[in-house]
This record gives sequence, C-alpha cells and structure tokens, in this order.
Amino acid sequence: MTMSNDFAIQTKGLNKVYLSGFWNRKFVGLKGLDLTVNRGEVFGFVGPNGAGKTTTMKILVGLHSATKGEATIFGIDHRNPESKRSVGFLPERPYFYSHLSARELLRFYGRLFNMGGSALEARINELIERVDLVKFADLPLRSYSKGMLQRAGIAQALINSPELIILDEPMSGLDPMGRKLIRDVIFEERERGCTIFFSSHILTDVEQICDRIGLIVRGELRAVGSMEQLIGDDVKDVEATFDIPTGKDLGLKQESITSKRDRDDGSQRLHVTLNKGQVSNVLRDVLGAGGTVIRVEPTKKSLETVLAEKIGEAQQEISETTIGVL
Amino acid sequence: MNRLLAIASNTFRETIRDKILYSIIFFACIVILGSVAMEEVTIGDQDKVVRSMAQGAIRLFGSVIALFLGVGLVYKELERKTIYTIASKPIPRWIFVLGKYTGLLWVLALELALMALLYTVLMWSRQGAPHSSVYISWVMLYMELGLLTAWALLFSCYSAPTTAALFSISIWTIGHLADDIWHFGQEASSITIQKTSEVIYWILPNFEMFNASAAAVHELPLTLSHFGGVALYGIGYTAVVLTLAVIVFGNRDFK
Repeated sequence: MTMSNDFAIQTKGLNKVYLSGFWNRKFVGLKGLDLTVNRGEVFGFVGPNGAGKTTTMKILVGLHSATKGEATIFGIDHRNPESKRSVGFLPERPYFYSHLSARELLRFYGRLFNMGGSALEARINELIERVDLVKFADLPLRSYSKGMLQRAGIAQALINSPELIILDEPMSGLDPMGRKLIRDVIFEERERGCTIFFSSHILTDVEQICDRIGLIVRGELRAVGSMEQLIGDDVKDVEATFDIPTGKDLGLKQESITSKRDRDDGSQRLHVTLNKGQVSNVLRDVLGAGGTVIRVEPTKKSLETVLAEKIGEAQQEISETTIGVL
Repeated sequence: MNRLLAIASNTFRETIRDKILYSIIFFACIVILGSVAMEEVTIGDQDKVVRSMAQGAIRLFGSVIALFLGVGLVYKELERKTIYTIASKPIPRWIFVLGKYTGLLWVLALELALMALLYTVLMWSRQGAPHSSVYISWVMLYMELGLLTAWALLFSCYSAPTTAALFSISIWTIGHLADDIWHFGQEASSITIQKTSEVIYWILPNFEMFNASAAAVHELPLTLSHFGGVALYGIGYTAVVLTLAVIVFGNRDFK
C-alpha cells in the first residue's frame, strides 16, 4: 500500500507499544493498523474501551508517536506539523485554560494558526454564534458547564475552517441538546466538504451519522465499511403489532407473542415477533379475522451486535493462542 | 513568531494570575522594606547593610519565583491536558517550549522591575540615587534567573513538579557553590575527587558568575568586558539547556 493524498487519513502498519511501570511492562495499543478515511466522508471509529481509538487519534494529531508504521493526513506525514494546518481536533473531555473566556480562547487558538486581525475576529463571532455561546462568550471558562465547555471545544476545532475534523468521543456526557448540536455541526461540515473522523460509544449516533464505520478491537481493525456492509441486508425477524377482536385465535405460538393487552373497544393489541416466512400468512389471518395491522417492521442486526461479535472473535483468538502456547 | 508570542502572552497572563507569585512578591517587599530596620541593630556602615539585605532579598525571592513557576511550567500543561489542543495545532514543539519560556521571562522581568523600583525608591529616599553597578547587577541577576528557569523547564518536561523542584534546587545550590567545589576538589589528595569536582565545575552552571551583589553593595564599578563575558556565558548556557528541554519535550507522548 502506498501512501496517497487521495485520502484524508491513511495509516499503514501503525503500531503503538506503551511501556509502563518500573519494569517497562509492554502494552500493545495498536497492532498494525491499516486504515483509510476518504475525503469528504464521515467515518465513525468504534470499539470497546482500550481498543485503540484514542491512541490512533493521538498519533494522527501528534500527541503520541507511533512505535512503527506510517500515517498521513492528506498525504502529508503526520509527524510534520504542517499536516495539522487543515485539521481540527476535539479531545475527549477537553481541558482549556480556565482563566480565558471563550472569545479569548478562540483568539489564542486562532493565533496558533497564524490567523489575526479582523478575519480572526469575524471567525470568532461566527463560531460563538454557531455553538450558541453568545451570552457567555466573555465569561471565564471556569464558570462553564460541561456542555458549554464541549461547545467551546467544538468552536476551537473549527477555528481554522478545517478540511478534516477529528473528534474523540464528542458526545460523551452531553445532554440531548448537546448531542444534537454536535450532530448538526457534523452534518453542516460534511455539507461543506469536510471529512469527519470521530469515535463514539453511542452506537445509535454512529449508525445515524456515519458514511463508513471502522470497528477496532484490541488494537486491530476488525471490520470496516458502510452500515449496510457491516450489518448486511438480511432481515432477521419481523416485529408486528395488530389489533384483533377478543376471542379470535390466530394459531400463533406463545413464544412469538411478546405482549398482549385488552383494549376498551373489545379488541386485543398483540405485539409479535415473526420469522420472515410467517409474515404474509399471519397478516392475512389478522385481516381475515377483522383485525387491524398497526405496524410491521423488519429487524436487522444492530451495530452493537456486530461489535459484540467482533469482540467475541478477538477473545476467542486470544484464548486459542494462549492454549496453543500452553 | 506570532505563534510563539501567542503562547508566551498566554503563559504570562496565566502566571500573573497565580496567587503564589503575589505571596512571594509580598514577602520580598516586606524584607526589602524591613532592611531599613537593620540600621537600628547594626554598627558600622549602616547604608551598606541596608543595601546588602535588600539586594539579597531581590536575589533570593527572584530565584524562588523562577524555581516555583519554572518547575510547573510544562508539567501543568500535561497534567491539565491543555497541551492536547495546543500540540494538535501546526506548532512545532520547540515553539511551544520557547513560548512558555518567553512568557515566564516576561513575568520575571516584571517581578524584577517591581522590586528594583521599590529598591530605587527606598534608596533614593535614604541614600540618594543608587550606583550604576546596582542596575548592572540586576541585569546579571535577570540572566541568572533566565538560566535557572531554563533548568527548571528542562526538569518540568519530564518529571512532576516536586521532583523537578528538587532537581532545580540542587542545581541552584551546586551552581552557587561551584567555585568552592573546585577549590575543595583541588585540595583533595584523591585524584577521583579532583576529577569529579572538575567535571561538576565545568558541566554544571556557575551561578556565582552572575552575582554582582558585592559590587552593587560596595558601589564598585563593573567593567563592560566582565559584563560581556557573563552575558555570553549566560546566553550560551541557557541556549544549551533550552535545546535539551526541546529534545526531551519533543520525544515524549502526552498521556
């Protein structure tokens, strides 16, 4: 694999080994990570705690050095500070100088990009408005709530109008409004043509937002692709809800009925889980019995299920390796 | 340059909000003003005693400020994780280190200027205008504080403030005893001790080179060649220590 500037992010055989404790005990953070993030896509990086998500991000933005391997941002080696000129980064639980106000903070970060003058001031005002901090822009950050700090963090990540935004757990600990704001920013930036690379434990957000998803477990990329590619198109079951007149028996097995409730109009509301082959027959029976179909929804594998499978596979491989060694 | 100044001015603003700075300056002022009281318990040249004590206070408290602020300079950024959003910007790490250092130099300049102003007013009111050597001694002290801060910054790049403070105090103490270490070493019969003292003398800083308090107290002139030599030594040595700090900081991960 050659490194190319066709990708926003490209890593090849990226390794990170941490040494800890007095005896320099080795801990592998990343194991030969080969990853590509295309320009203009929203890429979700998912995995359990300690899987290597933050390590990857920290290597990309220059907070950690890789033990081995290569990484480029828009074709520029990640160790070159110039590679960060077009990058915006929001770390997990961002910490800022508490004595500064949001406006001063943005001015400081703007100057780190060699910005200044009226262009910087205009950008600051625009971002403060965008993250809804207008009323608090001149208060010191020590008086901010967690959600407000996260918004200030988002603003600093956007100060240089980046082409690539790297967000580490941007929704962690936020209330629904805060999460919505982050989602909106991601969508707006994607519209602008920006690439977004983010990690999250909130898988429903990942499912909704991402063009592609990478699953990382124990430092290894276990799967990568769009939601469709990861979870497949196969319909597992079909969940259905319908009302039938009380006393009518559809001949359904007891285990397929998830709940049953009598209604005031003399009917019964049934929630059932059916396999694909049953659906048309059951629905015909419901309508034949004078019932009403309320909802029919196919259920597919969730990202959570896929992730759990990948974690299981990784654990299985480790135990097999251990048995092999023993 | 703009980026270095941004980090320096932020460091300056952050440091001058540090309460410990005001506490130390407060005690320094008390001691400088309190030096007048020494007149009452001194026989002989009372003016010299006042000058000596005030000069000593400026030197001691200046060093304390350089040490205490210097050892936390980089470590605080790592501990509070404010480094994450700075190191992820297009900033070479040497700019960050030099920016932090420059910011603290500005604080030291302000602190020294305040104490110098107090000293000048005090002397003016009692003994007339201070001798020119007093002002030169302060410039030399500023160079000493610059070197001490560079050492503290170097230690701050890889160790916690307590350890960094311990190392910095050791360097400061040894640096002030450099000449004595040399002399004691030369008088020792053991070749090992002689060689060790020579190594310590040549490798570690000689802070006494910057000490012009005697000239300031006794109102003796300081030659330009002496000042030039000290300045060359101070700037050169500081550059070496800062280079080491940049190398150490450049190779570390931010956890």
